[in-house]
Amino acid sequence: MTDDKDVLRDVWFGRIPTCFTLYQDEITEREAEPYYLLLPRISYLTLVTDKVKKHFQKVMRQEEVSEIWFEYEGTPLKWHYPIGLLFDLHASNTALPWSITVHFKNFPEKDLLHCHSKDVIEAHFMACIKEADALKHKSQVINEMQKKDHKQLWMGLQNDKFEQFWAINRKLMEYPPEDNGFRYIPFRIYQATTERPFIQKLFRPIASGGQLHTLGDLLKDVCPSAIIPEDAEQKTQVMIHGIEPMLETPIQWLSEHMSYPDNFLHISIIPRPTD
Amino acid sequence: VSRSMAREEDFFLEEKRFKQCCEDFVKHSQQIGDGWEWRTSKDLGDGYLSKIHFQVRNRNIPPDLKEKNSDNTEQTLFAHVEEPLDDSQAAGVCSTEEVVRYEYHVLYSSSYQVPVLYFRACFLDGRPLTLDEIWGSVHASYQARLQEGPWDTITQQEHPILGQPFFVLHPCRTHEFISAVLGGSREHHRHTNYIILWLSTVGPVVGLNLPLSYAKLAHEQSANADSG
Repeated sequence: MTDDKDVLRDVWFGRIPTCFTLYQDEITEREAEPYYLLLPRISYLTLVTDKVKKHFQKVMRQEEVSEIWFEYEGTPLKWHYPIGLLFDLHASNTALPWSITVHFKNFPEKDLLHCHSKDVIEAHFMACIKEADALKHKSQVINEMQKKDHKQLWMGLQNDKFEQFWAINRKLMEYPPEDNGFRYIPFRIYQATTERPFIQKLFRPIASGGQLHTLGDLLKDVCPSAIIPEDAEQKTQVMIHGIEPMLETPIQWLSEHMSYPDNFLHISIIPRPTD
Repeated sequence: VSRSMAREEDFFLEEKRFKQCCEDFVKHSQQIGDGWEWRTSKDLGDGYLSKIHFQVRNRNIPPDLKEKNSDNTEQTLFAHVEEPLDDSQAAGVCSTEEVVRYEYHVLYSSSYQVPVLYFRACFLDGRPLTLDEIWGSVHASYQARLQEGPWDTITQQEHPILGQPFFVLHPCRTHEFISAVLGGSREHHRHTNYIILWLSTVGPVVGLNLPLSYAKLAHEQSANADSG
């Protein structure tokens, strides 16, 4: 049991060393130095980059500054995806620090959601939690909570307070004693190569005979191209929080211990490095 | 034949039934030239309803509201948003006419087991409408509810199949008014086109209206089923 709680802490406190560089075409009054920051894997870009924004705005004129957005090797980064997911999906097999380019102009309307205030992030975060509970508990647990409990989930994330967050989140990880798990598992599977942003389907953690479904079962059912039978060479990696969990891991356990704070398992399918 | 009362489950829409309702819906749309089509995704075979609609908006902005600061988060209020074309030629009114291109998509949410309305809107020069402008254009009857909880009603989200930003009318409250509309026997539900009932209820919130002939479709299905 102690081991399992350690996993929760390891997930929460995961960090990615990042170097932010201002886009070269931005107009500055003097040279902009890069800015280094350890990004929390479980948070969102626009929630943790106030210092980055301030740093670059210091060398720019007010009229040159519009909504901030981030890009990695030409790809606009979706702030509404958790940071850890963005890194695993786009940069996990490259050298650290993660090099992100900062923009203040030409917001890519066709690619990115706007994020004019923290309210937008909170609304998005809470919408994900509600959807996850719709899948796990037919929304019963989230609807029984008071507004202050909802607020505590958000404040825990915003202020990086593990205990504060989990005091409430543990209720979202419970299930009736007569069941052996959630109704359906909240998950999304991402592949950078597809137009479809992610795959999400209904998937039960327990089989009709009572056995626990595994990560391998999930992939076979929902994304069969992701894993090839054991004897062939695996061309892809299945990554959650920067690691490759064993395919035999029960999906119920993964959902309880390796979900992001939004209560979803965000799973990346990426090319295996060929060195 | 006893007619049992509807259970909560009856207000949920299974994906198979969603697809069937959409198929019937598109057939009728084609008959009356209403412009809806079904788009299938190449990879997984799921899909969505789609329609493009141009709307002329008559912005009657009272002089004191015109002076708005440039803060992005301020709500820009449109005093009136007229429905298309007929009303927009009101004589003697100082107004700006604008054409807005709306693109509506109906997708299925497996998480909530209901249809969800996605849409995006832009002016003819390509400039997309902002969330504030969208909130401002919500029909007057719904403004009170919107202002109570704008973040629970319409927000910008990523389209789950196309991966692009769209506005979404939140599905959480669908059951509330669908049960009010459908309240009645289970027998009746089975023959109802859920999409028509649902879309005729939520569509007007965001400027989407269904011609009355769709109601005929729901009725015909019901009649055929009873006589079969």
